[in-house]
Amino acid sequence: MAEHPIDQTIRRMIQAPLSRRGFLYAGTMSAAAAFLAACSGNGAATGAPSGAGGTAAPSFAIPEGIESELFMYNWGDYVDPGNIELFKSTFGVTKFTYDTFASNDELLTKLQGGAVGQWDVSAPTAEFVPAMREQGFIQKIDFAQIPNAKYIEAPFKGVWWDPTDEWQLPKDWGTTGISVRTKIVKEDVSSWKQFFEVAPTYSGRIVIVDSPGDVFVAPLKALGYSLNTKVESELEEARTMLLDLAPHVLALDSDQYNTKLETEEAVLGLTWTGGILELRDLPETADIEYIIPSDGTLYWLDTWVILADAPHPIASHAFLNFIHDPQIQAIETETNQYATSNSEAKKFIDPEMLADPALFVPDDVLARLEGAEDTSTDPLRLDIWEEFKSKIGQG
Amino acid sequence: MTTSSVVAPPSAVRPPRSSRTGILTGLLLLPASLWYLILLVAPLAIVVVMSFGNATRIGGYEPAFTFANYASALDPSRVTPFVTSLVLAASGTLLCLFAALPIAYFIATRAGPRKSLLIILLVIPFWTSFLIRTYAWLTLLGPDGIAGFIGSAIGDSGFRILGTPVAVLIGVVYGYLPLMVFPIYVTLERMDRTLTEASKDLGAGRWATFRQITLPITLPGLITGSILVFIPLMGEYVIPAILGYGRVFLIGNQLVLQFLEARNWPEGAARAVILILIMLVTVVFYLWFANRGRKSREVSVL
Repeated sequence: MAEHPIDQTIRRMIQAPLSRRGFLYAGTMSAAAAFLAACSGNGAATGAPSGAGGTAAPSFAIPEGIESELFMYNWGDYVDPGNIELFKSTFGVTKFTYDTFASNDELLTKLQGGAVGQWDVSAPTAEFVPAMREQGFIQKIDFAQIPNAKYIEAPFKGVWWDPTDEWQLPKDWGTTGISVRTKIVKEDVSSWKQFFEVAPTYSGRIVIVDSPGDVFVAPLKALGYSLNTKVESELEEARTMLLDLAPHVLALDSDQYNTKLETEEAVLGLTWTGGILELRDLPETADIEYIIPSDGTLYWLDTWVILADAPHPIASHAFLNFIHDPQIQAIETETNQYATSNSEAKKFIDPEMLADPALFVPDDVLARLEGAEDTSTDPLRLDIWEEFKSKIGQG
Repeated sequence: MTTSSVVAPPSAVRPPRSSRTGILTGLLLLPASLWYLILLVAPLAIVVVMSFGNATRIGGYEPAFTFANYASALDPSRVTPFVTSLVLAASGTLLCLFAALPIAYFIATRAGPRKSLLIILLVIPFWTSFLIRTYAWLTLLGPDGIAGFIGSAIGDSGFRILGTPVAVLIGVVYGYLPLMVFPIYVTLERMDRTLTEASKDLGAGRWATFRQITLPITLPGLITGSILVFIPLMGEYVIPAILGYGRVFLIGNQLVLQFLEARNWPEGAARAVILILIMLVTVVFYLWFANRGRKSREVSVL
């Protein structure tokens, strides 16, 4: 029988004489590969907190009986990796899994589908906490184990989503606004009204976050209504505006909107601040701006919760206390680029970041913003959202 | 001369059935029946029952009996995704067919000793995650890849492939090619070569031989491949979401929206049932159309 082609190839490989040139080539390649691997290995962050002006690294008391694992279910890239490594090494938590979801609805759907008991810690947006509590998805937090909670600022305490402050611990807060590449978009886009007017000019280059709660803000605020309205006539007006916008939208994207704005695939966006502010420091994208619209927008707050039947309660509480240590929280703010709810952490944050009005919104601007309610199951809104989604890029 | 079809011989006298044989037969059939019952019939039944229910205030399912979900699913304004899916699935299947037929023909008839190597090359990418390969196409077709190259060649800096039906079709053909190649390859491999020789001896040209001998023999493989591609393609969601930027809105996207975002499981279930019915009708019609006029059932993969 004729020799199988693969056998032929292998035989040829084995029998070929090794020439001097071949050896030198192979040797150089392996050395180069080893060199590159060593270089990139050294670049990994060690995660040691560097406070302003050489303050000492924080020390942590390790609680008794702490488990060696922690399962987190969170938004993508929402905790600094260096902090995760520091937590693991300091508290002896050898296994730290970080699963991700792309929206609060996905989190709720997974939990409704019976995934309770699979994760320990999560970070839903504040308005979803009552629904999670009602359905028994979260447990009360034992704040005796979290002394760092005393640094949480007053405006985030006793709010409607958790009047007794037993079920959640504030994380980051931020706004939803307009991102624009001013190098290409010359018009003034400082309000939602102008956003809708300018959109047809840049058809096919507009990116919007894939979140109904945030997207409805734009038309409702442009029309001057409350962004939580359930009034049918107001929502129908919003539907008309959204359907006019839909053909000009490039994509609905909550993860990669900053990449699209960076490569100029998109030049205008309805986005959050994450990933946008750091583009200002790069020379090619220094023209990017994040604008809080003058006709109002929403401010959101993400909150830490401990899920019901969490397999590792002690580690969960230890993590929440760890993450709100002021120096650790400062690193979080600098990595995630969302404002912190921790007053003491501000002492360790770069003053330039503290002064940035897009990030740490000044009080007078904050007073004009509206908080969001949970409108995720309103049938009319869902109907409009579905029609909007199906008409993206058509016509 | 007989063709390569297999005609079932008339059955000989059957031995009398004893009860032991009956029990044995039942036991042998048990694993397969359990498999079908638990993994096919039961989930289907759950979906059908759920489609008649209601969504609770916070999403999910509560038992009820209502046709409201079907009414809203068949609402004319919601019908567009069904039509778009049919068009995309049909064109995707056709493109796959045109791409797969030359490949399968070459491997089966012309490759000679390199046959197994080529088959392995076709299969190896499928050892990698499907999602990662789709993401790889994002880079290939993006502004730093082919789209940028074409854009600079024709002078249009805003040229974009991603987010158009073209990108979705590219992703679809790439993802479903082996499903189409292998059934065709199998039938071509088993084809009796003496038939083509005879046809040439009788004076037929190469195209006539292909049209009248090879193609009819390959037909079962073509049918199998088409169905293997068409059915999953109707429910496809990932490729339009990633490569199409969600701009190509299909039934799959609609279902995901209902289940994951709207958390309205009964309505999503109603649409799933309608999708299944449409596919059932389409496939039955297709099979009847392709098999009409064929007197004997050929041995085929389907």
